[in-house]
Amino acid sequence: MSVFLLARWSTKGRLEAAVAAALLVLACSRQETRSAVDDAGDPLPPAEMRTRIVSLSPATTELLFALGAGDRLVGRTRWDAWPDAARTVPDLGNGIRPSVEVVMAARPDLVVLYATGDNRDAARAFRAAGIAVISLRIDRIEHFERATRLLGDVVGEPVRAVVVADSVRATLERVRRATDSLPHPTVFLHAWESPLLAIGGGSYLSQLVEIAGARNVFADFPGPSPQVSFEEVLRRNPEYILAGPATLRTIRETPRWQRLPAVRNGRILVMDTSLVGRPGVRLGEAAVSLARLLHPGVLP
Amino acid sequence: MSGRLAFLLVATGFAVVAGVAIGPVWVAPADVWRALAGDGDPVVRAIVLDVRAPRVALALLVGASLGISGAVLQGALRNALAEPYLLGVSGGAAAGAVLAVAVGVSAPSVISVAAFAGALLAVALVMGVARAAGWRADPRVLLMAGVVVGAFANAAIMVLLAGAPAETTRGALWWMMGSLGAAQWRDAARLALVLAVTGPALLHWARDLDALALGHDAAAALGVRPEQASRRLFLTASLLAAGTVAAAGLVGFVGLVVPHIARGLVGARHRAVLSVAAIAGGGLVVAADLAARTVRAPAELPLGAVTAIVGVPFFLSLLRRIR
Repeated sequence: MSVFLLARWSTKGRLEAAVAAALLVLACSRQETRSAVDDAGDPLPPAEMRTRIVSLSPATTELLFALGAGDRLVGRTRWDAWPDAARTVPDLGNGIRPSVEVVMAARPDLVVLYATGDNRDAARAFRAAGIAVISLRIDRIEHFERATRLLGDVVGEPVRAVVVADSVRATLERVRRATDSLPHPTVFLHAWESPLLAIGGGSYLSQLVEIAGARNVFADFPGPSPQVSFEEVLRRNPEYILAGPATLRTIRETPRWQRLPAVRNGRILVMDTSLVGRPGVRLGEAAVSLARLLHPGVLP
Repeated sequence: MSGRLAFLLVATGFAVVAGVAIGPVWVAPADVWRALAGDGDPVVRAIVLDVRAPRVALALLVGASLGISGAVLQGALRNALAEPYLLGVSGGAAAGAVLAVAVGVSAPSVISVAAFAGALLAVALVMGVARAAGWRADPRVLLMAGVVVGAFANAAIMVLLAGAPAETTRGALWWMMGSLGAAQWRDAARLALVLAVTGPALLHWARDLDALALGHDAAAALGVRPEQASRRLFLTASLLAAGTVAAAGLVGFVGLVVPHIARGLVGARHRAVLSVAAIAGGGLVVAADLAARTVRAPAELPLGAVTAIVGVPFFLSLLRRIR
């Protein structure tokens, strides 16, 4: 299952290299000290073959498919729509504050939760019912690697986990090398209009933009989506605006945005939010799409 | 009158049975029965005994507590609009909970302690203001102090949430909309303890409420010290309300309307009003929670909104019949 990733962005030689690297890392991983808690601070469930998995976040559902565990999924959230096969998995509703009894009725032996305070009660209830729980949260690229490794261990697919993480890393490296020597324009990543939210340095998107050959003007803000003032956007005067298709119209039609040279000059780049909006197994693909937006022609 | 009472008891009992038997997952009645007997499929047993039953128990306790608390406050302040949430309790509790969420606390038990502490702080503030203004003067002073403290708490919440990340806002909002989604037996036991201490005390003081209803002078003539009695009643009823917000967040409307329903059923004598308010409040919240978790299953509706949506038509029909 993980091969679909590699096939798309890697040459055959790279696939073999990735597998070789995977085996090497696997050989060394015995000595590696593993953190004993998940992203909610709870102890990790034991590594074993899980046959009935409920994944309650889109990023982990994608990841489970990439790990080859997609056919063991017995539940997902209503937002999990990628890959296409995910749509055939039963929809159990929301991933934040899920319905505990609906999840229980799917009879899972593992529930993968998005790590947030809102899900603490659900995690407790599942554990009380004897169901293994792992809470994961991916805000940055390094979190993706960690989540991949932990999830791979817990569902009994540690080798595939290494392959997936390596293939994503390899694609990201390829994009970085392609854009490294090019001029890096400054960009403003528009996350929300009212209140005005930017993508800050704490988000994987800020990292992706740097890899794709640009500089996020709000990279110095530590949060993933800090609130910023319009004055500050004007002062930082980005060369480009990166926005989703939905916000494009708002920016074009709101008079204040016309004050920004980037907008006046039509330098608004539209991101494919369904691809870059989620820190999952398509991080490499997302970096490629951003690089193509920022530096047309660099990546064929 | 006893016919209406019997109807109320049957309706509440029916709500409890339905609350355990019905949920977003279909469980056949025979399987519910088996689960209650501690038998049958373990997953069904977990759904019935560990998810639904504690939730229904907590709903019953939350409704009963809010009903009693509202009836006492309306009596003690001689104001039909008095309710626990109008008197600073909700504002203080919400500010406490939001402050906890905003500083990064995610453990539900800590948030609920913060809410309880916030509620007590607000009640203390309200009583302090009332005392400074001359406790004796007018029960409306307490009401005004409560409203003002509530407004201050709301402002504090908005300041806390204005610059907060979306996740904090979401957590705070969930809490303020009221929910029993996380109910466990431990929560029900805690609220039962608060009710076991305050409930009998309030019932014991029901005669004071009857005297206060005649006016301070008449109460004094009957041997009740009005200031002392109303202070005692206000404090105890607020404590009970604080216990409910700590357990379920803000569940509005119940404390305001259930006492009116109770008076419509059994007249003005407070011993009867408090008992009926407890039963009616319990039944209303159990029914509202059942609707909250099934109408848009598997998503849940905010309980605080559903109590109003379920309760208002009922209340209006009652108002028309009383006229």
